[in-house]
Amino acid sequence: MPMFDTHMIFTIAAVAFFGAIIGLDRLAVGQCMISQPIVAGPLTGWMLGDPTAGIIIGAVLELIWVLDMPVGTFVPADATVSAVSATAIAAMGSTTGAALPLIGFCILLTVAMVPVTMRADNVVRHWNSRLVDAVMDASGKESGRALVRAHLSGLLAFYLKSVFLYLVFLPLGVAAVFVFKQLPENIHRAMSLFVKLLPLIGIALVVRKLSMNMIDLFLIIGFLLAAVAGQFFHAQAFTMILLVAAGGWLGARYREWHSQ
Amino acid sequence: MQSLGFAYAIEPVLKKLYPDGAEYEARLRCHLEYFNTQPYLASFILGAVVRMEEDRALNSLVDNDVVGLKSALMAPLGALGDSFFWGALKPLAAVGAVALIMTGYWWAPLLFLIFYNVWHLGLRAAMLFWGYNSRGNAVELMAKFSFMKMAKQFKVITLTILGGIIGMASDWRPEFHAKDALPVLPLMALWLAVVLALVAILRRGGSPIKLMLGLAVFCLALVYAGVIV
Repeated sequence: MPMFDTHMIFTIAAVAFFGAIIGLDRLAVGQCMISQPIVAGPLTGWMLGDPTAGIIIGAVLELIWVLDMPVGTFVPADATVSAVSATAIAAMGSTTGAALPLIGFCILLTVAMVPVTMRADNVVRHWNSRLVDAVMDASGKESGRALVRAHLSGLLAFYLKSVFLYLVFLPLGVAAVFVFKQLPENIHRAMSLFVKLLPLIGIALVVRKLSMNMIDLFLIIGFLLAAVAGQFFHAQAFTMILLVAAGGWLGARYREWHSQ
Repeated sequence: MQSLGFAYAIEPVLKKLYPDGAEYEARLRCHLEYFNTQPYLASFILGAVVRMEEDRALNSLVDNDVVGLKSALMAPLGALGDSFFWGALKPLAAVGAVALIMTGYWWAPLLFLIFYNVWHLGLRAAMLFWGYNSRGNAVELMAKFSFMKMAKQFKVITLTILGGIIGMASDWRPEFHAKDALPVLPLMALWLAVVLALVAILRRGGSPIKLMLGLAVFCLALVYAGVIV
């Protein structure tokens, strides 16, 4: 069976088309967070028949990139392209739902692509910054039409950038998965362990950015609350999350009251 | 940066207020000058500028008032919005959703979208009218919405939920849990210790990409050393 059959080519084109639409939400249109990995991953997985892969990839990448903020002129990593590509490659690389090692490999693959996505973002932003000149050159009522053209050109540039990245990344990813499947069992086992440990890196990254302390008191309180509720009172996970959130809110109120 | 988008948003108002082509063009050029702020709070500035353009069209304001208002507001509102929306609300919504996903709730992404957008869309719409009615009085805005106070609360709740995720390690989805490796309590303590160690490493400098690549190498080493079978 060939690596790229008609169905595969159609799927890659569809992911590029829809993935780029989702990507517009990141900077250009709305910013309603549809482009966040935790939404984009499951959405892609659901479209391609492997929602589990999308949920796992989305959750892990969300934790890792959630505080990579577009502040000022800083261009953060394109987490949307990473989440959509990783999920699509994992789904296309397996007919019965991607196994954990394959999911780990796909995450690693798209992480390695991040510098390319940042470079592409910079190029498009630079190109878009020159669109203002086109409006400045127009005169009278024509300047309004030039503004509309420039604005839509900017959106189109963002869209085409994402389409281009998907059309490059997805075939490369599918080819890489083909090679990965031939690799020794030990590497598959390592990739499985990689996925299990990734949430810890994600948690550490968020803690590092939210807290000034080496050992954050609220992190420890949350840990103890959940551990006690789960292990000694056998509370349901949902109840534990509510309990922990309520504990955090009370802690915040206490800190405010104490600092007054 | 965002000048094109701002000009695009205000263009219909300018077209209505300035039927004269030359005047319209001059006002449009004015709004194409450098503008960069937090995108959600830009709606406050947009509302204020629409009101001032209306006043200006009635000859009660000079040009510099509009330009000056935009320049004066974009930096403080940018800092405020970045800190609240990107630095507090988004992490809270995301970490809450990740906690649910890690423990097997597939609908967590939907909850994330609803929770975030109730705040986002609600405030975005409110800001537009608030900016218009107050003519850009940011002091009143900050007195009404305690963004900094809410941001601090959200960050604390986020940190507590992160601790909770580690404390729920025995309830994680099968893809993530490692129940067979150790008994539950020592395993949770180990995960907490690993997170604290990673935080210490990150304080010394280290990017997410390097950490992830390092983790992959570490996992390979563990497997090939026979520690993980």
